[in-house]
Parts: sequence; structure tokens; C-alpha cells
Amino acid sequence: MNNKQKMSARDQFKTFMRLAKYVLPMKKSALIAILLLLLTVTSTILGPLVIQRFLDDYVVPLNFPAKEVWTIALIYIGLQLVNIIGSYFQTLRFQEFALAIIQQIRIDAFSKVQKLGLRYFDQTPAGGIVSRVTNDTESIKEMFVSVAVTFMQAIFGIVGVYIALFTLDGKLALYTLILLPLFLILVSVYRYYSADFYQDIRERLSQLNAKISESLSGMDMIQAFRQEKRLSDEFIEVNEGHYRVGLRNIRFDSLMLGPFIDLLYAGSIVAVLSYFGTASFTSVVDVGIIYAFTTLLRRLFQPINQVMQRLSMFQQAIVSASRVFALIDNPEIEPKQTAVSTQHITEGTIEFRNVTFSYDGKQDVLKNISFTANAGETVALVGHTGSGKSSIINLFMRFYEYERGDIFIDGVSLKEYPIEELRKKVGLVLQDPFMFYGDIASNIRLHNEELTDEDVREAAEFVQADQFIEELPNGYEQKVTERGSTLSSGQRQLIAFARTIAMNPKVLVLDEATANIDTETEVAIQKSLEKMREGRTTIAIAHRLSTIADAELILVLHHGEIVERGTHAELLAQKGLYYTMYELQNGTQE
Amino acid sequence: MKVLLDLRWFFSERKKQYSIGITALMIVALLQLAPPKIIGYIVDAVAKDELTAEMLMRWMIILVVTGVLMYVLRYIWRVMIFGSSVYLARVMRERLFTHFTRMSPSFYQRRRVGDLMAHATNDINAVQQTAGSGILTLFDSISTGGFVILMMAFSISWKLTLIALVPIPVMIFLTSYYGRLLRNRFRVAQEAFSDLNDKAQESISGIKVLKTFGQQKEDVESFTKRSEQVVKENMRVAKVDALFDPTIAGVFAISYILSFYFGTRFILSGELSIGDLVAFTSYLGLLTWPMLAIGFLFNIVERGNASYSRIQDLLSVEPGIQDRPNAVSQLPHGDIVFDIDTFKFPDDKRASLRNLHFTIKQGETLGVIGKTGAGKTAILKLLMREFEGYTGTITYGGIPITRYKKECLRQAIGYVPQDHFLFSTTLGENIAFTNPKIDPAKIVAAAKSAHIHEDILTFEKGYETLVGERGVSLSGGQRQRVSIARALLMDPELLLLDDSLSAVDARTEEAILRSLKEERTGKTTIITSHRLSAIQHAHQIIVLDEGEVVEIGDHDSLMAQNGMYKEMYDLQQLESIVEQGGGADE
Ligand SMILES: Nc1ncnc2c1ncn2[C@@H]1O[C@H](COP(=O)(O)OP(=O)(O)OP(=O)(O)O)[C@@H](O)[C@H]1O
Ligand SMILES: Nc1ncnc2c1ncn2[C@@H]1O[C@H](COP(=O)(O)OP(=O)(O)OP(=O)(O)O)[C@@H](O)[C@H]1O
Ligand SMILES: [Mg+2]
Ligand SMILES: [Mg+2]
Repeated sequence: MNNKQKMSARDQFKTFMRLAKYVLPMKKSALIAILLLLLTVTSTILGPLVIQRFLDDYVVPLNFPAKEVWTIALIYIGLQLVNIIGSYFQTLRFQEFALAIIQQIRIDAFSKVQKLGLRYFDQTPAGGIVSRVTNDTESIKEMFVSVAVTFMQAIFGIVGVYIALFTLDGKLALYTLILLPLFLILVSVYRYYSADFYQDIRERLSQLNAKISESLSGMDMIQAFRQEKRLSDEFIEVNEGHYRVGLRNIRFDSLMLGPFIDLLYAGSIVAVLSYFGTASFTSVVDVGIIYAFTTLLRRLFQPINQVMQRLSMFQQAIVSASRVFALIDNPEIEPKQTAVSTQHITEGTIEFRNVTFSYDGKQDVLKNISFTANAGETVALVGHTGSGKSSIINLFMRFYEYERGDIFIDGVSLKEYPIEELRKKVGLVLQDPFMFYGDIASNIRLHNEELTDEDVREAAEFVQADQFIEELPNGYEQKVTERGSTLSSGQRQLIAFARTIAMNPKVLVLDEATANIDTETEVAIQKSLEKMREGRTTIAIAHRLSTIADAELILVLHHGEIVERGTHAELLAQKGLYYTMYELQNGTQE
Repeated sequence: MKVLLDLRWFFSERKKQYSIGITALMIVALLQLAPPKIIGYIVDAVAKDELTAEMLMRWMIILVVTGVLMYVLRYIWRVMIFGSSVYLARVMRERLFTHFTRMSPSFYQRRRVGDLMAHATNDINAVQQTAGSGILTLFDSISTGGFVILMMAFSISWKLTLIALVPIPVMIFLTSYYGRLLRNRFRVAQEAFSDLNDKAQESISGIKVLKTFGQQKEDVESFTKRSEQVVKENMRVAKVDALFDPTIAGVFAISYILSFYFGTRFILSGELSIGDLVAFTSYLGLLTWPMLAIGFLFNIVERGNASYSRIQDLLSVEPGIQDRPNAVSQLPHGDIVFDIDTFKFPDDKRASLRNLHFTIKQGETLGVIGKTGAGKTAILKLLMREFEGYTGTITYGGIPITRYKKECLRQAIGYVPQDHFLFSTTLGENIAFTNPKIDPAKIVAAAKSAHIHEDILTFEKGYETLVGERGVSLSGGQRQRVSIARALLMDPELLLLDDSLSAVDARTEEAILRSLKEERTGKTTIITSHRLSAIQHAHQIIVLDEGEVVEIGDHDSLMAQNGMYKEMYDLQQLESIVEQGGGADE
């Protein structure tokens, strides 16, 4: 989140060049757009000239030869037609091309998000990420629409004026060249300060959005605990801060941009008039030159003023782009596979060898974990809450990278399988089920279009979800709202379970997959699992010891260490931690 | 243009700023005419060789003064007008947010977070533009355009002016037609953007699932599809967008041609001098900007219109459950009596609860068990008034809960939801959610009762540990206990524990139950659970099946009834017997 550092001119330039690179694949359509722009610019310049000509040649002498008048009228109409058609297609082209670029940046950002490691998501609020992917990219758009067009028009305009100035009076034109570095200084001073300001405001906007987003997700909690007022007040404060910074930006822009250029214009007119005025005291001055000069100065300032007006948009786009690029460049990526092995997971033997792990690099959450699950066996992880059970799974699923120790499947390190192989063969039922917007079937199927309706139904049957699904008014087509808010927690868990079953994994990992499910259903699921046990290795976490009692190996975790291991009977005989846990559970049922 | 009327409330609230801004704008428009005139004087004076140093000095001073004055005025109108537009964004955002805090769960079932977010970002943006650039353009084009037209009509020829303006109504008609087209298309485009936002939001929240199933590529594809849709809809907007300038240019060219044709005729008939026509055409040139501005105006305003109506649609959704007139503002206390015939969730045809008739005595504990989807959570939600619309009544201390102020009712209830939601702040602040300024000792006390204190001490930063969004950096059981501590901190009159011990181990469960028993004497508690161990000591237990109470009583009487409860009990016992047997076999 922190790119609070000041963006230097170089950073900005780099960001700009990087944006420009997005144009490359669209060279042709960019070129066409620019050509169209040239066409319309020329026709808008020529239009008044034709009129001038008409006035000078025909109106003033009051002489209207039909043929010539018609020709000039037709030329004018022709020019206008070119202008009309050209400007229509030019606008369209620029839009098309800007939208295409934004789309590419969006896709790049989103694909990157998919590649980021979970550590990143632990630290960054979802709202903030969404804001970068959709809103920051949106404000880059202006760069390719209004900013680009204005800048190019301005360049044509300025060059034209200078050509005119030099043909008029070389010496004076040279003087006016002083204006250019002056503008440059102005632009760089503006850039220097506004980079900060715009970074500040984008950051605040992002915080604001993250705040809204989090409050929306936790609204039921806020309401249940009557914290609406407090949260609103907090929001109002953030909003107020954003507003203040927004005002500051407007003040700064108004001081430095449009109005300032107008002031410069007034100053330069004063200078020119004083120069010619004083000159006229001693020598003869050509009035036409004064006139032409002041007119040209006005023409020179017009495009510059427009550029300055767009400068704030430019700045905003650059800052937004740098935020999006910071996301795209984020180094917190998901664990890398070295992928040297082309071996497939056939057996499903799992071995943990001396795995030690820490989330923050300070406190070890897992210490020296070693165990082996033979193909087709069930290994159960038990232990008090926070003892590190889910963390073992987090490593096994390659959610977090580990450095100490190693994990093997079929004798090959986890790091050496292509990730697709792991994902295809290892199925996980998460502790917190997540539902997608859509319907029940699409939640079981996810993006896997190969699964037939029959497969989906079988998976649901497997976890005993078929009964309640079939009772729903629309069955498998029943709409699932955001996060499955219209289903009961147990129903959500069943659907998440079915999702994993549907992929028919070689290795099944269950992280308290039945914690919110009633005993009857749970027993039924156990039975189905038992039937399917052949050829499938299972790692199961459960607090209800009854559900894992027939595991081939039970590991008892305590503060990240395996303190006891063995079968249910062996562990009971040891009279250790497991024994007490077990006694407790059965004791309370008396 | 409707949006300008709709925003009346705002313009009148910011009357001062807008009047100052617009006045400054008008003065600038007038002052702008000075420099060309002054240039003219000086040029004339030089030509006639009449220019004196004193005169030059005087004019230069005037020029400098007007220049500085314009600078100041331009600064002022910008700050006034654009400042107001930023203020509008702030006000709208605040309104949306407070509105969101008043919406009921059924609203959040229908709407999605990404979509709501899009309203708060993109749509507010478009409305802000209307109040800023829109208003500016409106007055700028009226003032400069009007002024030029007046000059043309009065100093040259009103007849020719009228002729030149003949095509203008056509232009206004066309641009306002485009405006309408644009509004509809822009609305659709904003909807597509909402959709994209929804997609991004969902994928990021569900990233763990996507990774688990290795479906990142497919998900990027589905994102791409939506983003293509955004491009498509925006292209449809652009197609209208691109019509404005060419149309205006075309109409304007016709104006030129008309003025020349008639102008020369007037010259020939002696009605007009040549110089007049020359001046007339240069005035026409000055009209270019105000004309283009009209197109720009329609464009911005109609976008604002579409977005404003989208926001208004949201704001006009009635808050679901409101206090009745004369609502009781005392804290509920006493027995809770359920007398419900049927209850349906909104948008659902089936009754989720039926024939619920039971009483919870003040100070007692009620246990609720039942299969997945039996309606346990639904009962708690009704009690919290998250949903209404049942037939029958629920009374608390003799008063129907619908007659309490929601505020008071909820003040009495400590709720531990089945799906624990933590905020991305520190552990301490999460526990002290209902009262951030509470004595830290009380936070520790609550944490101790929820048996999370020890865990917290093992963290490096203790109570200052940041938990990440939704509490991601805690283990499942830790999250659940923080959520219990949060409710216990309130020391509520009524505590609702919705399957809140599902993620903790037996020892912790036992310990929490014990401390609950100690602390909650004399206070009412409702516990739902799948594990009988959590509820079997309750004073009263109800067994739910498909939304109906099938058995009711305490543990012993339920065991004696030989029904569903006994069945469940036996099943849980049987499991442990099987285990022991299974263990002995090996
Ligand atoms: N993403 C994370 N970042 C930092 N710390 C974490 C993260 N996830 C878990 N932890 C910490 O690691 C420890 C072990 O957590 P883990 O989730 O493995 O416990 P668990 O055994 O699964 O517990 P439970 O039964 O409650 O689910 C806990 O102290 C927890 O706070
Ligand atoms: N907001 C809602 N809209 C429509 N139906 C709902 C809604 N919430 C729950 N339901 C349905 O009402 C029934 C009861 O749900 P409830 O959440 O009360 O079950 P539960 O007993 O708490 O189950 P669990 O043990 O899984 O938590 C379920 O069939 C569920 O699908
Ligand atoms: Mg866990
Ligand atoms: Mg429930």
C-alpha cells in the first residue's frame, strides 16, 4: 500500500513511457487516429482562411463572378465536410483506442492480482485492490482521450504560430522564444508539487473506497452492534479529509494553471506594446506588425492554455497509472514452482520433512513438522485452536512459501510439480466456505465446464446436499446471492464440500469441513467418504475427535509442534494430550 | 437537463458560492473585452503618431491592473464552482454511506458490494462533473455567446443576426436529442462498469477458492469478458459522443454560408457596409466556442443525469425495518415469548419457520438444535429484528419486539454470529467494537471469558495485533473467540451464540461454557449448536426440524421422550463407542 514516496520527474517519465508502450500494439489504429486529427486540424485552420480570401477578393471589391464564387463556396463546403466527417471518426477512433488500452491495463492488473500470494491479501483490503483495478484504470482513460488530443492539437498550433512569427519578424520571434522555457519552468514547478497532491488524493480516495467496501461487507455486524453512527462518523472524517485535499488541489491548480497563463498573456501583451510603443517615440513602426504580433501571441497562448488546463488530468492519470503499475509490479507473488518434474501424482503419498514455518519471519507457527501419509491413508490433525493445523494446509496447498524443510508427494518435492498438476489432484475444503454469485450448480461446478449436470448432482448427493437443494424452488438453478447470504451456514459448507468432491481429487484435504453440519449429515458424509477411500489420501482436521477416530495416523499439534502421533488406540493408551482431549469430549456428553 | 433541477437543493445550499463564482465569471467575460480594445487604441495612436509616453504608461497600467484582476477573479470562480462540485461529491458520498448503514439485510441480499461501490465512485464522479464543469460551461457559453450575439444584433444588423441564427434551433434540437441518447447509453455503460466491479470484488474476496481450484486463468477470462462488455457499452456511448462536435460544426458552417449570402445581398442593396460584414464574420468566429460548449454541456449534464438517477434509485430504497411511531425506548428485560405461526424470508415462497410457540424465562439458557437449515439462525435473526414479516408475535418483557426502538432492542442483545466477521483493525479494537473508549481492563476481562486472552498474549503485539480483512491472519477458532469476546464485552441482557463454538476444541469449549455459566447468571442466553455438549446443560432445549419445534424440554425430559433428541444423542454417543471399539480392534 505504501507508495507515499514522492514521485520524481523520472518516475513520472517512466510511468508515462510505460503507458505509451501500451500504444505500441495498436500502432496502426493510433496512426489513423492521429492522421484524422491532422486532417481536422488542417481543415479548421483552412476554413477561416478561405473566408478571409472570399472577403478580400470578392466582397471588398464587390465583384462576384459566378464561377469563382461557386468554386470558393464549394471549397468551403468541401472543407467543412472533411472537418465534420474527420472529427466524427477522429473522436471515435481515439475513444476506441483509449478503451482498448484501458482494457489491456485492466486485464494485466487483474491477472496480476490472481498471481499474487495470499500474504498480499492478508495485508491489503479488497476494496483497495478493486479500486486500483477498476477506478484507477478508469482515470487513466482521460490520458488517451482529452489529454492526448489536446496536446497534439496544441503542438500543431504552436508550431504553426511560430512559423508565422518567424516569417513576420525574425528578431522579435526570437524574443518570444523566451516564453517556451518559461512554460517549461511553470510545468515543472507544477509537476513537482502536484505529484504529491495527486498522490495524496488518490491514496485518500482508495482509503475511502476501502472503508465503504469493508463497511458494506460487515454491515450486519455494524447494525447488530448499533455502530452505524460511529462508523458513519468515521467515514465522514475520512470523507472530509478527502474533500480538504480535493479543495487544496483545486486551489493549487487555479493558482498555477489556466489563470496563470492568462496572466502571462497579459504580461506579454504589455511587454510587446511597451516595446513597440517606446520604439514609436524614436522611429517609425509598422502598425500591421504590432497588430499581427498581438494576434499571433493570442493564438500562441490559446493552445498553451488548453494544455495547462489538461495538465491536472495528465497528472492524475500518471499518478493513477503509477498506482496500477505498482500493483502489476508487486513482488509479493504466489510461491513459484520450479516445475522440473513432469511426473504425475499417481499414488498420493505425502511426506512432510522437518517443515518449519513463520508468517511474519519472527514467530515460528510450525516447528519441525515431519510425518508421512501413505497412499490411500487418512491422516488426521488435531490440536487446540491456533495450534497450526490450518497453517500446515496453507503450506501444503502452496498458499504460502516455505523455506525450511520440504514437502513431498510421491517422493517429489511439492515445489517441482507444475502448479496445474497440484491443483488438479489436490482438493481442499476450506474452513470458511466462500460462495460465488450465480446459482447452486455454478457454485459446485465453478469454471469447470467439463462437469455435467449429472456430475454436479452426484457430488451434491455425496455430501448429502441433494435433499435441501432439491427442496429449493429452483433446485440446482436456485440463485445464490453474494456470499450465499440466503443459505444457512451448514448449507454453504455442504456446497463448498460438494465443489471439491466434484473434482474427484487424488488427495483430499478437509479443514473442519463439517464443523457447521449436524451429526446425522456428518455421519452420512463419513460413510460416503469411507466408500471412496480407496486410492485417495486424506488429510483431515477436526475438532470433533469422533470424526477422525478411524484415521491411520493422528497427529496431535501443540503450539506448532507434533507432540503425539499414532492411531486412536495408541494415543489413548499414551494417556497424553489426546487422551485428555478425548476424555473431555466424551465427559461433557454425560 | 433534468439533473440541474434535481440538484436544486444543492445549488440553493451553495447559493453563495455559486453566485460569487458566476459573478466572477461574468466580470471576467466583460474584462476580457478590454485588452483588444486597448491594443486597438494604441495601434491607432501609433499609426497617427500621437502616442505619448504618458498615454502609453496609463494604458499599460490599466492593462496590468485588468490582468491581475482577471487572475484573481478566475482564481475565485474556479475555487467557488469546482470547490462546490467537490463538496457535492462529499455530500453525496456521505448520504450514500449513511443510507447504506440504514439498509436491512434483505437489501444486501439483492445488491452486490461491487455495484454499490461503483455508485459511490463512478456515478458520484459523473454528478460532480455536472455541478462543476457543467455549470461552468452553461454560464460561460450563455455569457460569452449572449454578449457576442447582442453585439452582432445591435452594432451591425439584427436582420442578418437573425438569419445567421436560423440554424441554431436545429442544432439545439439535435444536441438535446443526442443528449437523451447519451443518457440511456451511459446508464447502460455504468451498469456494465458495476458488473465489472462486482466481478473484481468477488474474485478478490474469493481468491483462496480460485487458487485452490487452480481456476485463475478461467477467472481472468471471465473478467476479460466483462471488461469487453464495458468497452462495448462505452463505444456505444462514444458513438453518440462523437456526434456533438461535427453536428455543431456543420450547423455553424451553414450559418456562415447564410450570413455571406444574405450579407452580400444586403451590401448590394445598400443596407450594409462592407466593413460591417467583415466585422460580422469575425463576431461569428467568436461564437464558435460558445456553440461547441453547448454540445459539451449536454454531454456532461446527461451523463450526470444518468448517474444521478442511478444514485437516486439507490437512495430511494426504503430502509427495511424502521421504528414504529411511539416506539418504546426502554431496555427490554424479562421473559421472551415466541408466538409465531409462519415466517418467510423476503423473496422466498417457502415458510422457513412454522408454529413456534415457546417461552424463555428471564435469566435462563435456551439451547436450540436441529439439522442444517432447520431454522436456528432464522430464530435469532427474528429476535434481532433483522427480518420481520412473520405472522404472530415475539414479545420481550411483555412488549412485542416490534414496538421497541431497534436501537434499544439491540442494545440489550450481544450477538455472536455463525459467520464471524472481524474488521481490519487491531484485536483490541475488534473486541471493543461497541465501545472503543472502554477501559482496557474490560477488554482483557472479556478476552479472558472468551478464552482468547492467552492466545493474544502469544502474539508479538498482543492486543495491538492487526487482524487483516475479515480477520484473515487469525485461526478459525481465534476469530470465533474474538467474536465471542466482542459480544461479552457488552455484558448484554440477552446473549445469542449462533453455533459459536464450532471451531474450537473440546477443552476450550468446555472452558468457555463454564465461564459463561458463571458470568451469565440471571441473564438470558440462547445457544444454537450441532454438538449436544454445548447445550445439554441449558434450562430448556428446543429441537427444530424444517422450521418447526418438534421437541421441547430439558436434557433429561428430552431423553425420556425417546424422539429426535435422543436419536441425536445416541448417534453422538454411538460414534464414540464405535471409535473405542474400532480402536480396540487394531
Ligand atoms: N495469514 C496469517 N498471517 C499471520 N498469522 C497467521 C495467519 N494465519 C494464521 N496465523 C497464526 O498462526 C497460528 C496458527 O494458526 P492456524 O490457522 O494454523 O491454527 P489452527 O490450528 O488451524 O486453529 P483453528 O483450529 O482455530 O482453526 C495462529 O496463532 C494464527 O494467529
Ligand atoms: N435470507 C434468506 N432468504 C431466504 N432463505 C433463507 C435466508 N436465510 C436462510 N434461508 C433458508 O432458511 C432455512 C433456515 O436457515 P437457517 O440459517 O436458519 O438454518 P440453520 O438452522 O441456522 O442451519 P445451520 O445449522 O446450517 O446454520 C434454510 O433452508 C435457508 O436456506
Ligand atoms: Mg484452522
Ligand atoms: Mg445457522
